[in-house]
Amino acid sequence: MKSRQWLSLIACGALALGTAACGSSSSSSSSSSGAGGTKSSSGGGGGGTVNGAGSTLAAPVYQTWGSNLSSQGVTLNYAAVGSGAGIQQWTSGTVDFGATDPALKPAEIAAASAKGTPVLIPTVLGGITVSYNLSTVKTGLKLDGATIANIYLGKIKTWNDPAITALNAGTKLPPTPITVVHRSDSSGTTQGFTTFLSGYSPTWKSTVGANKSVKWPTGTGAQGNPGVAGAVKQTPGSIGYVEQAYALKNGFTYADVKNKAGNFVAPTLASTSAAASGAKVSPDLAYSAIDSPNSAAYPIASQTFIVVHQDLCKAGTSQAAAKALVSFLNYGLGQGQQVAQQISYAPLPAPLLAKAKAAVSKLTCNGAPA
Amino acid sequence: MEAGVISRGGGSGIPKRSPRARLADPAFRWALTAMALGLVALIVYFFILLIVKAEPTLSHVGVLSFAFSNNWDFGGEIFKAWPLLVGTLVTSALALLIGVPIAIATALFISELCPRRMRIPLTVLVDLTAAVPSVVFGLWGFFFLAPKLQGTAQWIADRLSFIPIIGGGHAAGPSYFVAGLVLAIMILPIVSAISREVIATVPLDHKEAALALGATRWEMIRMAVLPYSRAGIAGASMLGLGRAIGEAIAVSYVIGGNATLIHHIVEQGDSLAATIARSFNEANANQRGALIACGLLLFVLTLVVNFVARYFVARSTRALRAPPAAEPVASGAV
Repeated sequence: MKSRQWLSLIACGALALGTAACGSSSSSSSSSSGAGGTKSSSGGGGGGTVNGAGSTLAAPVYQTWGSNLSSQGVTLNYAAVGSGAGIQQWTSGTVDFGATDPALKPAEIAAASAKGTPVLIPTVLGGITVSYNLSTVKTGLKLDGATIANIYLGKIKTWNDPAITALNAGTKLPPTPITVVHRSDSSGTTQGFTTFLSGYSPTWKSTVGANKSVKWPTGTGAQGNPGVAGAVKQTPGSIGYVEQAYALKNGFTYADVKNKAGNFVAPTLASTSAAASGAKVSPDLAYSAIDSPNSAAYPIASQTFIVVHQDLCKAGTSQAAAKALVSFLNYGLGQGQQVAQQISYAPLPAPLLAKAKAAVSKLTCNGAPA
Repeated sequence: MEAGVISRGGGSGIPKRSPRARLADPAFRWALTAMALGLVALIVYFFILLIVKAEPTLSHVGVLSFAFSNNWDFGGEIFKAWPLLVGTLVTSALALLIGVPIAIATALFISELCPRRMRIPLTVLVDLTAAVPSVVFGLWGFFFLAPKLQGTAQWIADRLSFIPIIGGGHAAGPSYFVAGLVLAIMILPIVSAISREVIATVPLDHKEAALALGATRWEMIRMAVLPYSRAGIAGASMLGLGRAIGEAIAVSYVIGGNATLIHHIVEQGDSLAATIARSFNEANANQRGALIACGLLLFVLTLVVNFVARYFVARSTRALRAPPAAEPVASGAV
């Protein structure tokens, strides 16, 4: 009876111990020094072991890259703990790199700078598809941000609502009631989706807002991408948002969504990559791919980054691990871009890829190139 | 050497032990004491740790406000966990209401009614249910049970709409009701197994006496078995309740994750443990503090349940021991 509670309590306690240090900068020394001694020390042979944690969106990509590199003696341990937790672990020094979907916030940069200059390296792009279940309309349903927001606000209740039919001239829509499905767990996918809706609906922005978990005005909660996908699949008339890689891999139906330039774009790898070409990229490579002005871009796209320190070894990574980390990054930005497409992630567009490679080439270990 | 000791001590009739042999007993005792104290220390440590980590949230929101005010907006960082606490209590109560009668019936069938040959296979089968991982129950509940039950739940809700909370509402797939149902299945094995053991302790004399007085099987169960094992079954139910309160993963799948105070049991809700399981990964520092505070609330709730369970078990032993103990004393006085 008690074991279950104990497990959750133990998990609470352990996580709290591990991450509490990042909450206040002054108390971080004890936790980080304790963890720093153990990390990356197991790298034997010619390669090294790299520990990373963060983004669940990019986890399949990094894990595939890691397993492809294992023949070269590089061992990657990647924990998909979520972007926020990844940054915290990296800041406190328990992992060699963090992985995050949104770029670092000023406060996070300040906290991380204690161990050296943080470097942001874009890796791939993902998207969020709006999936639906209508037996009469298998593909090519057209939706825009305001309409999706009104569906998720519960204002549009049936599929033949004038707002939807106006976007889909020539398609006969049934009077089926709409069942809204949303994530019930806290997730970066929800953040991307609600950020997109906030941009098109002032009502959404003021009443629901953009966050990893929000107070949904209507709909059914389902856990994880498989949960939402499963609920959409088995409920006629339902609509849900699913991570692009998941939807493409499972041959899911999805709507074409109107982008900033006014075009209806299907969520393909090419249109998701295009989202990054139009985005404004700052000198530290921070950018947001959501609602890109590029006319060919799919609007609900998400960037994802790996964060490291400029001088890896001064930040606590061993020399062998630093070497392994750099070869991991070089692989990811080289051959890895192709590999990512095979598992339905969009590659970086060429100009941004060149900038990312340049950032990796500047990483050092104790002042010397890593 | 030992033989010498024995022969020298032979006069007293009790063989003396070597100092080393004499050491074993206290050493054993101290080792066990240390382990037991270690466990207690661990529990106390967790409790203190939870309080320390939850303190920022609790002092910001206020302890009473955190537990008993109705506004949980996790993303917006408003942490007033009353809807979650109520959700936990509602799903657990549903689990008990549905699960305990079935568990007792199962236990009665296995120990009183079923053919002797089937007894062991059935026992094993029921106990095996306890080994199914909770995530399997959760997935099964979400993908199979919830959609299948949606229509039925709506029908029942419409018929019972004159009763507040129990009836009425718009049935969602995942709901308090489905969560309660899945929890009922999950607590079945433990409640049933303990009830079975308790029922097995009913003296054969009582049962034979009832039958000899002309009671039917059912009357025998009602007059001899159930009164004797009532308190033990209550204790078993409390253990089941503990499991239902703490269950996180299965509930997080089938409850929907809508942290508003319950309106109707066929609608979506949330519970303390499910919220912790679902939100911890992506939580920031403030949110993590709030989740740990939820853990603390769960801890306290579990302690309360444990005390209630102890009370029931203690009462049962007193109730059972008292009458037979009183008789010899009375006869001795005479």
